[in-house]
Amino acid sequence: MNTSVDWVQLIIVVVIFGGVTVMGFMASRWRSAGHLDNLDEWGLGGRNFGTFVTWFLLGGDLYTAYTFIAVPAAMYATGAISGFFAVPYTIVAYPIVFVFMARLWSVSHRHGYVTPADFVSGRYGSKALSLAVAVTGILALMPYIALQLVGMQAVFETMGLGGNNTLAKDLPLLIAFAVLAAYTYSSGLRAPAMIAFVKDFLIYVVILVAIFYLPHVLGGWDSIFGAAQEKMAKTNPATGKPTGSFIPGNAGYVSYWTLGLGSAMALFMYPHSVTAVLSTKTRNVVRRNAAILPAYSLLLGLLALLGFMAIKANVNVKGLDGLANPQLAIPRLFDQEFPSWFAGIAFAAIAVGALVPAAIMSIAAANLFTRNIYRAFIKPSATPAEEAKVSKLASLLVKVGALVFVLAMDKTIALNLQLLGGIWILQTFPAIVVGLYTRWFHRYALLTGWAVAMVFGTISAYNVVNPATKKHFGGSLANIPFTNTPAYIALTAFVLNVLIVIVLTFLFRALKVPDGQDTTHPTDYLADRGDPGVQDLPEILDDGGAATAKS
Amino acid sequence: MSRLSAVRPAYWISGVLLVVAVVVPLLVPTYAKTDPHLWGFPFFYWYQLMWVFLSAILVSISYRLLRAEERRRRAAQGLGDPDAPDADTKEAGQ
Repeated sequence: MNTSVDWVQLIIVVVIFGGVTVMGFMASRWRSAGHLDNLDEWGLGGRNFGTFVTWFLLGGDLYTAYTFIAVPAAMYATGAISGFFAVPYTIVAYPIVFVFMARLWSVSHRHGYVTPADFVSGRYGSKALSLAVAVTGILALMPYIALQLVGMQAVFETMGLGGNNTLAKDLPLLIAFAVLAAYTYSSGLRAPAMIAFVKDFLIYVVILVAIFYLPHVLGGWDSIFGAAQEKMAKTNPATGKPTGSFIPGNAGYVSYWTLGLGSAMALFMYPHSVTAVLSTKTRNVVRRNAAILPAYSLLLGLLALLGFMAIKANVNVKGLDGLANPQLAIPRLFDQEFPSWFAGIAFAAIAVGALVPAAIMSIAAANLFTRNIYRAFIKPSATPAEEAKVSKLASLLVKVGALVFVLAMDKTIALNLQLLGGIWILQTFPAIVVGLYTRWFHRYALLTGWAVAMVFGTISAYNVVNPATKKHFGGSLANIPFTNTPAYIALTAFVLNVLIVIVLTFLFRALKVPDGQDTTHPTDYLADRGDPGVQDLPEILDDGGAATAKS
Repeated sequence: MSRLSAVRPAYWISGVLLVVAVVVPLLVPTYAKTDPHLWGFPFFYWYQLMWVFLSAILVSISYRLLRAEERRRRAAQGLGDPDAPDADTKEAGQ
């Protein structure tokens, strides 16, 4: 166990962190046309990002520090089903995004929508449904932000920061977050967009070096895969079953593809993904990005394999509390196999990698609160300047909340909630994505389907008991009802959701339950920059949204 | 606006390509095996990593098709091409 601070690593991390902080504050002036006193400027970076910036921004946003710790950790602990599914997941996500995201971009730009819940409200004329979407988004984001801190904590712990003193243990995290909160507050979305360049560059360097250098040290890919295969086949004494899966067997096929598909469909339902997409300049930026973002999937796949390298390298994953913690596998692998200075760079990459998504997520959550709770229910007359002010404060609150989460509660609670977040967020898919194509679904049918699926998903996840620890929320796989086939709970709940929506839509239409007013027009879904009604855009916010221009 | 004037093949072809890019990587039984190895990687692992490239190619082709189609539609409606002045965007389309 590491008990002393590694000064070389610490100095490198502090220097890089300092540089990034300066960038974060300077970002407020980057590509800025005016003042940061409305949501389009503060919360969407002026809606002016091109393909190149967006690639970094989305990459920095979607592939989080937690991903970088958790995916290899899962590979290390239980192998392919819980870890490597991330590869097909991120492969199939982009064709799906390619199909619908351009429509969301267009309609959002013609109506000045800032969040997915804004769209739902305009499309279905239902404040309740919009609130449901907004609340789901905020609920899913909070634990996700908290987990970015957990990722940072794993790094700090490996560097030897920590110990028994609570203050010393938590101080680095407190400092990092205070800095993050300050520059998000002052620069908005421009800060993470700029820092994403540094983050992605560092991560690419680290992974490329790791992927070529480590197999060389550890005796080649053959022996790495061999060690992994051996570990996964070993019987786990707690369960009497094999430790994990090296290659999924018959029983694991459904788990594997449902995890991949369910996660892929959920990915762009997360509000922070939508925030990044809406910050782009033209309708096609997101489509071009769907073609080039897979570069990150490759990165993620290679990164996942580091989990197997950790098995081969026999890293010590005991935490400061003396318990085995697979989350430490990657930091410990770097610490053990790299020279101190390079390990320092790798740790800085992970720590900076936590800042980008945490910033975007807190902005997205704040936008949801401002638009779909504050303006919709508390103060409908809010001006753009007021909105920006409320959003800035909300983003601070969200971050403090996440911090309290991590420091005051057991971190397994954050993990459980993040698992639930994935299940919950997918339940907004029918309202958002199907809504982009047809308005046939009835608003109350959507609301009911959402509610039932949320409850069903939560209960199913609660009932998954970890065989070793006997704790609830033991994983995201459960048998499909009336079968013995385990599948990803989010997708099972989604199917239930859609079935309910269809049946109730027929029913409500037959009963002539009032349908809300649709303020969008079919041409809105194809609009692009420069078209009538598409503005760049504070003017739209001034009259509160929605002047449908027909072309 | 007449959707009839929109030529179908571009939509159909990209639709098929995108469906392939979503469905094939999820057909687990087709690749859940160890052999043949490639550079020490079991089939299961290198095959999925290979799909990262295939998927990127399929999406790029769809993008080109739809983009040409959309340009034509916009020109017919007398709308401008908002992507044209962007110099950095073209090469990034891969």
